[in-house]
Amino acid sequence: MTVATEAPPPSGSGTATRPRAAGRRTGPSGGWREAAAHQLFLVPVAAVFIVLFVIPLGQTFYWSLTDFTGYSDDFAFVGLENYRTILSDPSMTAGLTFTLLFAVGTTVLTTVIAIPLAVALNQRLYGRNLARSLFFFPAIPSMAVLGLVWGYILSPLGSGVLNSVLDSTLGLGPVPWLSDSTLAKFSVIMVGVWGGAGWHAVLYLAYLQSIPHEYYEVATIDGASGRQRFFHITLPLLMPAMVISQFLLMTNGLKVFDLPYTLTNGGPGFATQTITQSIIVSGVGQGQYGIASALAVLFTIAVAALAFSQLLISRRIERRVL
Amino acid sequence: MTRHSRHLAAALSLATALAVSACGGGGAADGDTLTLLAWDSEEVMTPVLEAFEEAHPDIDVEATYSPPVAEYIQALQTRVLSGTAPDVFLIAAENKTNLIEGGHVLDLAGEDFLAGVPEFNQQTYGADGAVYGLSLSSWGAGILYNEDLLAEVGAEEPPDTWDEFLALCAELKDAGITPYLEPLDAMPGVLSAFLGAYDASTGHTMDDEIFSGASTFEETWTPLLEQYNRLYDEDLVTRDTVGLGPDQVEAEFANGRVAMMIAGPWNVNSVREAAPDLEVRMVPIPGVDGGEPFLAGAAAPGLAINPESGNIEAAKAFLSFFASPEGIEIYQAQLGAITVTDDFEPPLDPALDPVVEDVRAGNVYLPQIAWQRAEDVLNVEAVAQIQRMVQGEITPREVAQALDRKLASS
Repeated sequence: MTVATEAPPPSGSGTATRPRAAGRRTGPSGGWREAAAHQLFLVPVAAVFIVLFVIPLGQTFYWSLTDFTGYSDDFAFVGLENYRTILSDPSMTAGLTFTLLFAVGTTVLTTVIAIPLAVALNQRLYGRNLARSLFFFPAIPSMAVLGLVWGYILSPLGSGVLNSVLDSTLGLGPVPWLSDSTLAKFSVIMVGVWGGAGWHAVLYLAYLQSIPHEYYEVATIDGASGRQRFFHITLPLLMPAMVISQFLLMTNGLKVFDLPYTLTNGGPGFATQTITQSIIVSGVGQGQYGIASALAVLFTIAVAALAFSQLLISRRIERRVL
Repeated sequence: MTRHSRHLAAALSLATALAVSACGGGGAADGDTLTLLAWDSEEVMTPVLEAFEEAHPDIDVEATYSPPVAEYIQALQTRVLSGTAPDVFLIAAENKTNLIEGGHVLDLAGEDFLAGVPEFNQQTYGADGAVYGLSLSSWGAGILYNEDLLAEVGAEEPPDTWDEFLALCAELKDAGITPYLEPLDAMPGVLSAFLGAYDASTGHTMDDEIFSGASTFEETWTPLLEQYNRLYDEDLVTRDTVGLGPDQVEAEFANGRVAMMIAGPWNVNSVREAAPDLEVRMVPIPGVDGGEPFLAGAAAPGLAINPESGNIEAAKAFLSFFASPEGIEIYQAQLGAITVTDDFEPPLDPALDPVVEDVRAGNVYLPQIAWQRAEDVLNVEAVAQIQRMVQGEITPREVAQALDRKLASS
C-alpha cells in the first residue's frame, strides 16, 4: 500500500497538469506571489492604456458637457446641449454619412482588389519582386501627400492630368472628378483604395505563402479547377488575414482625415466632409471644444460598436470556415 | 525594493520632475529673452530679428515658427491654455474674438508705434476703443487680367460695372477664351467685394444690423448672391471652380489659358515668376447695381503682446522696431506686402498700381473679419453653401437662410 501511494504519478497530460493546478489554488504564499508577479507585467501596459486612453476619454466626455472654448478656464456646464446641436446639424450628419461610406467603400473595394492582386503576385513571374514593390509603393507616402498629388491628377478642368488623357485617347470631355458631389465621393474613395490596396495585398501575400502547396497539388490531382482551388482553399485559409485587414481598413476608414482634407477639403459643400474633420475644425478652428468633444464621444462609441461587431462577425465566419 | 532600486527610482523621479518643470517654463521668459511665436517662415523673419537684435543688443529674441492658419491657431491656443504663451504672437481673424474675450492680449491703444497705422488696421484687431494688434499691412484681392487675351476681343481692361464684366466674359467665351476662374475653397473674392461696396454705401452698418438682429443675411446677402451667381447661371464660368484650389487657378492663368482670375498681391509675385513675359495688371472688382468697384481684402494679422509676459517693455520695443521704417522695410522686402504705415512707401509691382491706394486706405472688405462673432463657424458654412449654390443644388436665398440659421445656433 505504501509503495502504491508513494509511487510517482503515471505520465500523461491529464495527470501532469492536475498537481500544478492544485498547487496554485492550495499552495503556500508562493502561488499568489507568482500570480501577482505575472500581473505585474501588465502594469506598464495598463498604465499606458489608462494615461493615454481612459483619462483623455474621460476628460473628453467631461468637456463635452461644457461650453469650453479652448482659450479660457471660464466655462459653464451645458448638459447635453452640445449633443443636441450635433444631432440637429445637417453638416455633421453629412459628415457621418460620408465617413461610413468611405470606411465601408474602401474596406470592400480594397479587399476585392488586394486578394486577387496578392494571388497574382504570388505566382512565379518575371519581375515579381519589382511588381510587388510597385504595388506597395503607394502605401509609403502619407495620405496627405497622395491627396495633394491626386488633386492635380483629378483636376476637373480640361488641363487636368486624367482629363487630358481621357480627351487625347477617348475624346471624352472634361469629367468633373472633384467638382461634382457624387464623383468627388467616388474619387476620394478610389484614391483611398489606390493608396491602400498594395499594402493589404502584401499582408495577404504573407498569409498566402503560409498555405501548404500540397493542398493545391492534391486538389489539382482531384481535378479541381483554378476557380475551385481559389474558393475552396485560398479564400478560406486567408480568413485570418481578412479579419486583420478588414479591421485595419474599417478603423482607419472611420477616422480618415488627411486624404479628403487635402483632396477636396470636405467639398463640394459637405459632400466629402468626415467626422474627424468636423472634430478638428470645430475644436481647433472654431474654438468649440465642447461641441468637438461631444462629437468625439459619439464617434468613439460608434467606432467601438462597429469594430466590435466586425470582429464578432469575422470570428464567427472564421470559425465556420476553418 | 533594494536600496539601489530606491535610489534609481528617486533619481528617475527627480529627472522627470525637472523635465516637466523645464517644459512648463517655456512660455513668457524673464530677463532679456523675448519669446515670439511667428506666423511667417523663419526665412522671412530672420532678417527682421537680426536687425532688431542689432538695434537692441540687450534683448535676445527666441522665435518659434508655426505656419498659418490652422496650425498656428492650434499652437497658440495650446500655449495660451497651458499658461506658456509667448511674449509676442499674432492675433488673426480666426482667433481674435477668443483672445480678446479671454483677456489674453494687451491693450496697445495710445502706444507710439500705433501712430502711423491707419484706423482701419487698428479697428480690425480692436474692440471698444482698445487696440490689441499691430497690423502693419493689408491685402486686397481684385481681378488680375491678361492684357493680351483681353486685347483679342478689343478690351483694354475689365470694366467698372458687373453687367459690363459679364458681357466681357461672354465675348471672351465666344472667342474661345476661358474668361474667368476663381478657387471656391474659400469665401469668393467677388462676393466679398460686392458686400464691401454695399457695406460702404450703408456707412459700414451692414454687419452691425445683421448681428444685432435688425437685419438678416437673407435680406442683405440674397440680392448680391444672385448677382454673383450670374457667372454660373449664365454659363459664363465653369462650375468646376468648386473643385479648384488657388494654385490650380493660378497655374491656368500663368499658362495663358484664362483671361482673368481673382487674385491678391501674392499671386502677382508668383505669376511673374512662372510667366515673366505675361502682361498682367490688377483692377478692383466691378461694382454691382450702380455701386463702386471694390476690393476683397483685410488688414493682415497683428502683432500682439501677452499681458502675462514678464517682458512687456521688451515686447513693446520689438513692436516699435517692427513698425519703424527700418523694420518694416526689411519685412516688406521679404514678402512684397502692401504695408500701411504713413512713414514708409512700399516698393510694389506696377501691376498693383490700380489697387494700392484703396488697399492702404482700408477700402477692402472680408466678411469673416467683419463679422462680430462665430467668424469661422459662419465662414465654413458660407463656403460650403456657396459651393452647393454654384453646383446648382440650392438657390442664393437658401445660402443666406443657412447663414441665418447658423448664426442663430452659434
